Amino acid sequence: MKKILPVEELARDSRFVRASIQDAIADPRQAKIAERNTGSAKLEPERPAAGDRARQLMHGIFVGEIQALEGAGRTTFDFDDEEVPFQLKLDMARQCWDESRHCEISVKLSEHMGTGIGEFTEATFLYEAACAPDPLLRLTGVNRALEGLAIDVFNTMKEFGDSSGDPVLAACEDWMLADEGTHVKMGSDWLRRLTENDPERRERALEFQRTVDKLFSLGGFRGETDENPIQLARRFREMAGFSTDEIDELSEVATEAQEEARAAAGLQPSS
Amino acid sequence: MTEPDVPRAAFAPWDRRELPGLFGVVESARRVGNYKWIEMRLFEALGGWVATVPELDVKLVLGRQCYHHAWHAELWNKRLPELREMKTDRLTQPANDEMVAFVDALRDPEAPELTIEKLVGVYRVLLPRKIAAYTFHMNATGKITDAPTIRSLNFVLQDELEDWREGEMLLQSLIHTPEHVERAARRQQELEQLMLRAGGITGPGSLGNPDGTVNAVGDAAESEGVSVG
Repeated sequence: MKKILPVEELARDSRFVRASIQDAIADPRQAKIAERNTGSAKLEPERPAAGDRARQLMHGIFVGEIQALEGAGRTTFDFDDEEVPFQLKLDMARQCWDESRHCEISVKLSEHMGTGIGEFTEATFLYEAACAPDPLLRLTGVNRALEGLAIDVFNTMKEFGDSSGDPVLAACEDWMLADEGTHVKMGSDWLRRLTENDPERRERALEFQRTVDKLFSLGGFRGETDENPIQLARRFREMAGFSTDEIDELSEVATEAQEEARAAAGLQPSS
Repeated sequence: MTEPDVPRAAFAPWDRRELPGLFGVVESARRVGNYKWIEMRLFEALGGWVATVPELDVKLVLGRQCYHHAWHAELWNKRLPELREMKTDRLTQPANDEMVAFVDALRDPEAPELTIEKLVGVYRVLLPRKIAAYTFHMNATGKITDAPTIRSLNFVLQDELEDWREGEMLLQSLIHTPEHVERAARRQQELEQLMLRAGGITGPGSLGNPDGTVNAVGDAAESEGVSVG
């Protein structure tokens, strides 16, 4: 088996349909959808088609968890003993188990919510962030950016479970939320340890994280206004070890991504 | 009411543990180093394969079991300094070059069509060998002197047996044509030949030697192992 498995070679059964995130954002129907005045974009039970949106998000969580599992698994294999510390590999193996469990939970929740594997498409940008050749970039791209996004998504979904009267959804999301906090801490810890005497490498890794964070903000998908379906989970991010400055910076990145998406769709900037 | 002044034996009547056991410190440490090495190579392989298998149930099981073997490696890594090996990397070694050849062959399949080959290597060749070597160690070493290793072996063996059963069931669910049976058998034969040359996961003597010694052949001078018989 070779080191570094390209995204095109991720193995899937026939139910999975792959679509690029660029195609989804550039879909001309998006502009028409954005023009509709449907009120808050937050995932709330009163929102039009809230059930379908929640099911689509759950499918997105499921495929994201598969790719997070695959990314962590590859990190256990892609680097020799001399390239990464033994304990880092153990952490990645632990993450494999956690992500595998999250896949199981997501499949069960998808069924619980009335959807199934393959009903929505799969974008593979999460795995792409997870197969950088430098293990440190994987830690910032996956454990801090991707798992940080997971904190926002799970918290949003947990709140949706609470507000829509679905205790099963709320409880399961809360369990996964706890695991993601652990993964972020893992990433922050290794970033600090591996760059203790190399501030330049640390800065390069954090720059990569900012790039991934912007990608994960997905043209307004995540943010802190009513226009963002996924809300930045400040409290849980703080619990996972992100500083207030880091969260403020992420909020700015999310706003930038949102404005860029509005401009691309020919819309006026938000007030 | 108990009688605090009445002397009692150190061992309860049903506790039949004896001194000294067949392994010395050096032999136990050598084997533990081999265990750590093979557990590492295995958890890396399972982690790497997750992205290459299309079968969702297999993918998720590999993800879960990847951690089991990483945890075993961690247990062995913690045990090594207690067996006087402070530089744990020194003993984190394959038993011999033939074992390296076996592991290279085990980890070779990559294509998504090769799930049977991947699983046969793990569940029909390697795990049975690990279970055998771990069981031998547990039965042969000093029940009192090497009790910390035995405790870890018990935890590890419980995982190994459950994981083997789960993997074997997955494999049976994937084998449903005569051609699949042939593929599985061919793969098992190839890998068994390599394992035979390696002599087991701790080399020749993995399950003891016919003459009653327990050390690897040729390592007698280094071993403190006690002969049987």
